[in-house]
Amino acid sequence: MATLTVDNITYTYAPGSPFEQHAIRQVSLETVPGELVGVIGHTGSGKSTLVQHLNGLLRPMEGRILLDGADIWAEPKKIRDVRFRVGMVFQYPEHQLFEDTIYKDIAFGPKNMGLDEAEIDRRVRAAAAYVGLDEALLEKSPFDLSGGEKRRAAIAGVMAMEPEILILDEPTAGLDPRGRETVLAMIEEYRRSRGTTVLLVTHSMEDVARVADRVLVMNGGRVAMLDTVEKVFSRAEELEEIGLSIPAVTKTLLLLRRQGIPVDTSVYTVEQAVQQLLPLLGGDGVC
Amino acid sequence: MLSDITIGQYFPGNSLLHRLDPRMKLTLTLLFIVVVFLPQNWFGLLAVVAFLGGILALSHLPVKLLWRSIKPVLFLVAFTSVLNMLYVSGEGEPLLAFWVIKIYPEGIATAVFISIRIVCLIAGSSLLTYTTTPTALTDAMEYLLSPLKVVKVNAHELAMMMTIALRFIPTLMEETDKIMSAQKARGADLESGGLMQRVRALIPILIPLFVSSFRRAYELAMAMECRCYQGGEGRTRMKRLQTARRDWVALAVYVAVVVALIGLNILFGSSLK
Ligand SMILES: Nc1ncnc2c1ncn2[C@@H]1O[C@H](COP(=O)(O)OP(=O)(O)OP(=O)(O)O)[C@@H](O)[C@H]1O
Ligand SMILES: [Mg+2]
Repeated sequence: MATLTVDNITYTYAPGSPFEQHAIRQVSLETVPGELVGVIGHTGSGKSTLVQHLNGLLRPMEGRILLDGADIWAEPKKIRDVRFRVGMVFQYPEHQLFEDTIYKDIAFGPKNMGLDEAEIDRRVRAAAAYVGLDEALLEKSPFDLSGGEKRRAAIAGVMAMEPEILILDEPTAGLDPRGRETVLAMIEEYRRSRGTTVLLVTHSMEDVARVADRVLVMNGGRVAMLDTVEKVFSRAEELEEIGLSIPAVTKTLLLLRRQGIPVDTSVYTVEQAVQQLLPLLGGDGVC
Repeated sequence: MLSDITIGQYFPGNSLLHRLDPRMKLTLTLLFIVVVFLPQNWFGLLAVVAFLGGILALSHLPVKLLWRSIKPVLFLVAFTSVLNMLYVSGEGEPLLAFWVIKIYPEGIATAVFISIRIVCLIAGSSLLTYTTTPTALTDAMEYLLSPLKVVKVNAHELAMMMTIALRFIPTLMEETDKIMSAQKARGADLESGGLMQRVRALIPILIPLFVSSFRRAYELAMAMECRCYQGGEGRTRMKRLQTARRDWVALAVYVAVVVALIGLNILFGSSLK
């Protein structure tokens, strides 16, 4: 699996105009093959701008992006090959659906890759299975699906390209708790079975806590933190200063640990916390 | 990037020109077109240039901005100049005679005259859009067109349509940008291939764009209805347009200029061929 290296990149929107906006500055990052990096940050902190650099949709004004050590902009004409290796799911990806059937829409990416019919078919069906879309739905028009199904179909459209690195920009935005759960679970499943490196942009600390190995915290276009979930969560005050908060349960456990109570602070659900605390209380579940 | 295209050229400011009532500005701009076409001789044209210079100074706009609106018509200027030089014949000897082409000094003079006229026309009318917000402009249009009610033209609806269209242009551009990025991320190739191929490559962008435009239109209609929008009948305004003394002074100045130009025409006659 490929390694993606971001080397000190800077990007400014509308440079030199009154609307100039320094979206990201001196950002560096290196992915470890197979890991899941959660990218989190306040709105406008540059998350989307950063990830659009990773597959060459934006070109850094300073710095480089390396894929397996090779600068992706070495040959601008071949940037499409980078996009096949680094898959990118945009925010509200359901707005990109356009074919008359789901099947054809999922096949759009693989077709652009120039694969043969049989391989395209295999990939479309595999991707549909990953996102839990029924075979029967494949022949339907994308516009006849529910919102959640559309979202999943659109994600499948990128998964079908079988990228080595998969980037998802807020894939759970606007979904209900069950929908979020489904989407997260299918991303995890895809990663587990394919060993893909995943970058997950999100606003939700709960999501990060659940699925991420490492967290990249963005603030004002710069990298504020880049560390394991546990280490990042242990810096709760700093996170709060930049307008982010850690899950309430984690916060409580963190406070307990400050008091010298030996608890594991990497948990974030009430059930997990109960399991941590009950033995300490010496109780058997009756309070 | 698509977002680099500026629509609605409003340049924020607080000059006298910015503060004029948009209705008056619209009227004055129409009057300015008359002003530009009035002069028949060089004295008149000089007066127009001076007048335009005066308004420009009052607007506090950077000159660079005007250049931006003049640049696109330079081709037209060049084209008409060439035509004038070729077709206007003079009395004396041609300056240049070559095959069927004969260029007379009068031709060159006419070409310069017309060029200055076009440039003044563009510069003067673009002042309107630089100093007036698109919404103020549509409000003004609604007001000025409202007498057309008698011939069953609904000025309010026209103005509302324009306001909505203007409001959604940046949104649609942003949307187009996003959809293009999303399809490029799936390997859509928008930059190479022959004409047919390029046209076909637009389908994955146009369809989602249409779908989202319809969705937006539907949502907007819904939102407007929820707030009891029912057309212009009995509708009041939050920002009422109000003329101040400066508006009438401006009108008086323009009228004076028109009179003066007519005077110059009578005084010096026509120097145009
Ligand atoms: N196309 C654009 N043109 C100009 N400025 C932009 C553009 N896209 C983003 N920006 C600006 O760049 C900054 C970073 O935006 P970005 O979209 O990367 O933030 P984000 O972290 O993804 O935010 P969100 O969580 O709201 O999605 C913002 O200040 C934004 O206003
Ligand atoms: Mg974003």
